[in-house]
Parts: sequence; structure tokens; C-alpha cells
Amino acid sequence: MKFLRHLTVVLLVVAVIAGLGMLWAHVSGGGTGIGHPRQAPPREVVLRLKQIRAGAIRVGSGNGVNLADTGDLIRTCVIEAALAALVITVSASWLRHRRMLRRTRGSG
Amino acid sequence: MNAGPSTSLTDPPATVNRRRILARTRLDFWLDALLLVAYTLAYSLGFTGLAVHEWLGIALGVVLLVHLTLHWDWVIRTTRKLLRRNGRERFIWLVNLLLLVSMTLCIASGILISEVALPQLGITVPASFFWRQVHDTTATITLILVPIHAALRWRWIVGMARRFAAWRPTRSR
Repeated sequence: MKFLRHLTVVLLVVAVIAGLGMLWAHVSGGGTGIGHPRQAPPREVVLRLKQIRAGAIRVGSGNGVNLADTGDLIRTCVIEAALAALVITVSASWLRHRRMLRRTRGSG
Repeated sequence: MNAGPSTSLTDPPATVNRRRILARTRLDFWLDALLLVAYTLAYSLGFTGLAVHEWLGIALGVVLLVHLTLHWDWVIRTTRKLLRRNGRERFIWLVNLLLLVSMTLCIASGILISEVALPQLGITVPASFFWRQVHDTTATITLILVPIHAALRWRWIVGMARRFAAWRPTRSR
């Protein structure tokens, strides 16, 4: 019962965030295009299309797991590990500093 | 990993409560681990391919709702006592809030620019460069926030991993 109550609240919060995103899209005129007057595509879209046609951007990178292409996965893991290591180092030294401060205050 | 000892009617309430807490902690640990692995895979589009990326992203959204629901008590507790909490707790709260917003926008925009999953369900959404940009930006933000979010609880993770592995270092005096 408590789980369902909390899930309802979580769904509401997520809906509010998504709704604000939609509002942002509407205000900036970049939503789905429904209801907007027909206009020329943005410069970025034209540029992206040109890049796709020229083969500079790879789209539709297969529909299944490509085990040979592990470079992307390794890159993600390295970024995550590096950031986690940085946070753990800072957090551990901060905790040590606090412990030392408490000890100094306790003995003083 | 075993499912843990089952409770019986003869067990004292304190033991039953302890077992319940342990089961919940175990669920939290494995769900969080699953989320981290799924997120890492979903972010690596070149490895998974578009179809797996999209379906994994949608599944990730559902599991994230469960994750957030299971920790909603913490959200309420910390938000209420935000001003009284120390800087570290406030920082964790802020990271979690930013992660909630960026992850929600990332998954929502991912659904809106879906090229495989939604058409497979018979739903077609007009292409939008705005949502593609939102998806790219929020994905980068989540890649930064996810490891920070996990690493801020490193002591809990290490403690749980040690408990599950039933390994305790001998303390030297």
C-alpha cells in the first residue's frame, strides 16, 4: 500500500518534469512541429543531414549488440570509473579531515 | 546468492524485522547494481545498437521509477531537514535532484526521438531536432552525475559488498 502511494507520487513528479520539458519545447518552438506554421528547418538540421549524406555521421548503428564494437562501452566505463574514483578520493579525504578535527576538539 | 533465511511464526518480532531490513537492503543493492550496468550499456550506443539502446532505455525508465519509489522515504526525510543537514547531505540531495531531472528528460526525449521501439509499437512521432539536442545534452549530464551519485554512497556499497561476500578484514591492533 505504501509502495503504491509512493509510486503515485513519483509518477506525478516525473510527469511534472516531463511536462515542464514539453513546455520548454513549446516555448522555444522546437517541439514535435504539430500546430506550428511550416518553416525552414534549422541550420543544425541541414548541417546534420549533409554530414549524414557525406558519411561523416554514422546513423542506425545496427539493431543488435555488436560485440566487436566494445570501444564505446570501454569509453563509458572509463569515464564512470574516473569520476567515481575522483569522488571517492575527495569524500575519503574529507571524512578523514572531519575525523581528525573531531579528535582534536575532543582532546582539547 | 541465496534468498536468505525464511521467517517462521515462532521467530521473535525483532528477528523478523531484522530479516526484513536485510532483505530490503539486499534488494536495494542488487537493483542499484542492475541499474548501473543497464545505464552503462544503454549509454554505449555503438556497442548495443539502436534497438537494444532504445528498449534498454525504456526498461531503465521503469526500473528507475521503482528505484525512486523505494527511496522516496529518504527524499521526504532529507527534503524536510534540508536546512538542518550538513553540507555533504545537501550536496547528495542536489546531485540526486539534478539526476532525477536530467534522467527524466533524457528518457522522455529518447522516447520522443525513437526510431525503432516506438514504430515497433505502431506509434510514430514526428522527428524533432530539439528533442535530439535535449537527449544528447541530458545523456552527457547523466554520464557525469551517475558515477557521482553512486560514488557518494561508496561506504554503503563497500559495506554491502563485504557482507554479501562474507568477507571481513582482520583488524590489527
